[in-house]
Amino acid sequence: MQQALSYTNWPPTTTSSVVEVPKLVAENAVVVFARSGCCMCHVVKLLLHGHGVNPTIFDVDEQNEATVTGELSKIIGTGEANTSCMPQFPAVFVGGKLFGGLEEIMAAHISGELVPVLRKARALWL
Amino acid sequence: MQTAVIDMITPTTQFTSSSTMGVYEPIHQISMWDDTFGGTISPNTDVCIITQADAKLDDKCEYASDRSLEPAEDNQTAKSIRDKVVQRRLAQNREAARKSRLRKKAYVQQLETSRLKLAQLELELERARHQGLLIGGATANMGLCGNVNSGIAAFEMEYGHWMEEQQRKNSDLRNVLQSPITDVELRLLVDDVLEHYCNLFRMKRDASRADAFYLVFGMWRTPVEQFFLWIGGFQPSELINVVMPQLENLTDQQLAEVYNLRHSCQQAEDALSQGMEKLRQTLAQSITTLAAGAGSYSSQVVSTMEKLESLESFAQQADHLREQTLRRMSCILTMRQAAKGLLAFGEYFQRLRALGSLWAASPRKFA
Repeated sequence: MQQALSYTNWPPTTTSSVVEVPKLVAENAVVVFARSGCCMCHVVKLLLHGHGVNPTIFDVDEQNEATVTGELSKIIGTGEANTSCMPQFPAVFVGGKLFGGLEEIMAAHISGELVPVLRKARALWL
Repeated sequence: MQTAVIDMITPTTQFTSSSTMGVYEPIHQISMWDDTFGGTISPNTDVCIITQADAKLDDKCEYASDRSLEPAEDNQTAKSIRDKVVQRRLAQNREAARKSRLRKKAYVQQLETSRLKLAQLELELERARHQGLLIGGATANMGLCGNVNSGIAAFEMEYGHWMEEQQRKNSDLRNVLQSPITDVELRLLVDDVLEHYCNLFRMKRDASRADAFYLVFGMWRTPVEQFFLWIGGFQPSELINVVMPQLENLTDQQLAEVYNLRHSCQQAEDALSQGMEKLRQTLAQSITTLAAGAGSYSSQVVSTMEKLESLESFAQQADHLREQTLRRMSCILTMRQAAKGLLAFGEYFQRLRALGSLWAASPRKFA
């Protein structure tokens, strides 16, 4: 379960422990994996906040990037070719599955598909 | 000589089946009367004789063409004269029409060539102006890296072509909307115009690899256009504001969806703009750290350069948002409304650019 949402301030729920990656993805409605200080991640966060969603942010840095990428690739699945499985950062997971990057979030936001997806993943209660 | 005679008699060529049939055949008349009078009439004969002959021939022709009247004595001659006259007249008709067509064709070709030349000159002028700006502005395009220059130069060239093509498509839209056309045919044109915008976004993506700043600040545009720029292009929510007043007969459902779309666009634009702001702050911090000289200088320079590269992502995301907005609008609207909307937007673009060119070309007042 996510932490209780406060609409007036958004305490960042960040963690950097690699061990928790699968657990994080499974237990949280929306998780964003992004490199520290990435401005695109900031954009993703703002878009999600606009929908009343406070995503869990996982800080990817030089030390854990390789491991994290490995973990994520496992979650995404090994069916496809390796290169397409490699997640681009920022990577957004909704309801335990990879939704995509900023481009996918933006496309869904414009087409109106984002809200139903968020609702289905129980990221929204309204 | 004979031609001169003809001109005097027939100052204006009128190929009508009037009673003046005989007027067009002075040569024939001359030869005919020549025969009658035993070759005393030569091509240099005085005009009045010819006109007399005309008059006589006129009478004969009228006479012969009027069936109710008694045919003249030399009925055969009149008939053959008439036939020959008719034949000659038809032949001259064809000849004159053919010449007229050729003249028109030549004229149109001349116009087309001039139009192309004008477009080329305009493009060269633009490029010269921008290159002047660039050199003055001391950017990376100063020839430090040959690749950068050629990528941008190629883009400017392509953009010129793109604008020309855009104008043609606007005309097509305009023409099509004035005539009855099926939705199926309209969809082809609408899809074509959307595809043309996608081509532009692809061009911009390639160019931003050469120089993202050039793209983001719209360096290929006139200053007036740059005033309206949002991350290297039009603002999607503004597109909706421009187009909406031009559309008619929107259902309540459509209106609601359009306003929703505009709201979503504004949210996305805000998010991207704030992201840019964050980039600026991060860069400012990096530069301060560099200046302080703490840590490894070269690695910090590298990381700062990497941050600068993210500008390319912003340009890409902005274009992506534009594309999504265009597509979504064409989904919400009927084919006809979408065509009208695209035309309205295309015309707005054109006028803005024209205004920009006008401003750039007009002399400034100095205090």
